[in-house]
Amino acid sequence: MAAVKTLRGLLAELRAASPNGCIKNNLASRYILAQYKKFQTTDQQLCKARDEALSLAQTYQTYLSSIRKYNELYKEFHGRGERTVRETADMVGFKLPHDPKD
Amino acid sequence: MMNNLCKLIPRTLVNVARQSQNTIKRCYAAPIKRFYKQTSVLYNDGKYEVTLDQRKLKTPKGTLFTVKSEPLAIAVATEFNNQKEHIERTKMHLSALCFTAIDNPNNHTKIDMVNYLLNYIPTDTILFQYDDEKDLHDLQRNEWDPLIEWFNERYGTQLKKTMDITPPTVSSEDKMKISKYLLSHSEDVLYGFVFAVDTLKSIILAFAAIDQRIAVDKAVTLARLEEEYQLKFWGRVEWAHDLSQQELQARLAASVLFAHLNRSEYFKKEKTLI
Repeated sequence: MAAVKTLRGLLAELRAASPNGCIKNNLASRYILAQYKKFQTTDQQLCKARDEALSLAQTYQTYLSSIRKYNELYKEFHGRGERTVRETADMVGFKLPHDPKD
Repeated sequence: MMNNLCKLIPRTLVNVARQSQNTIKRCYAAPIKRFYKQTSVLYNDGKYEVTLDQRKLKTPKGTLFTVKSEPLAIAVATEFNNQKEHIERTKMHLSALCFTAIDNPNNHTKIDMVNYLLNYIPTDTILFQYDDEKDLHDLQRNEWDPLIEWFNERYGTQLKKTMDITPPTVSSEDKMKISKYLLSHSEDVLYGFVFAVDTLKSIILAFAAIDQRIAVDKAVTLARLEEEYQLKFWGRVEWAHDLSQQELQARLAASVLFAHLNRSEYFKKEKTLI
């Protein structure tokens, strides 16, 4: 069950990250789906840790989602340089000298 | 008098002085625009390459980008494909790790990297615990101690935590055991280890994350254990705490993926149809 959840999460992250929001012909999504098919019966393999494929998928999901969240936070808070006079005036509710008085 | 003086100074210099008075500007390189439409992966001579439209991806030093693992090449191609208007290289940790491993800009040898990692053990975050504050110490004991035990069992070492400022002593025997384990890996994988240790500031947590003993987000939480504890009293600031948490998670996930994909190989045997 965890595997299906991870797959859904991964595809959602890939979709969110891709510039046009479409992952139909996306390389990564096709590879991930192929891997899921390959390990459909079991991902227990010789000389591999238990659930190795699944935890790799989860790691990749963490990678994509962390980058997305980091970008969102960065976009919200990063410095945009100095404010203009108008922006500062708007912030404190003042008007500029040439604005109409009313 | 002033006018005469001004005439003596070349005009450009005056302009520069005037500009620097008005605005203090830091000169960053302009971000590169996304100059390609599609990214893809090529298989050539036993190695995988990434293509941006018809061009082949190259490292910052100018060598051709090649990796042994297919999923890694696909992940790098996806990362380049996910760039919107500009290529933001500071946020592409997986590609950055591949580039560093290929270019080796500091000319590190395997021995250098292993020595760096070994010297990190006495300053490992989770070996330094603090028993003045009971709640915090309970948290550290419950969360960190099982991992120290696991590490000692897994690698046959005898690392011990310290309760004050004196660093823990690491016997040369322990160092030998850990260095033997590390030296059994290729150079690429060691880059993954170094990156993970630099992110978490802890050898034990990094080993646990790469061995998939704990998940990436759990490892990052454990590395920031005291910060998380103090946050409960002093409040959480989104642009500091959350930002650093997400960045550490992305960095650690990149190094875990990189180490894994470089050390695992899938052998495929296909039956021939008669």
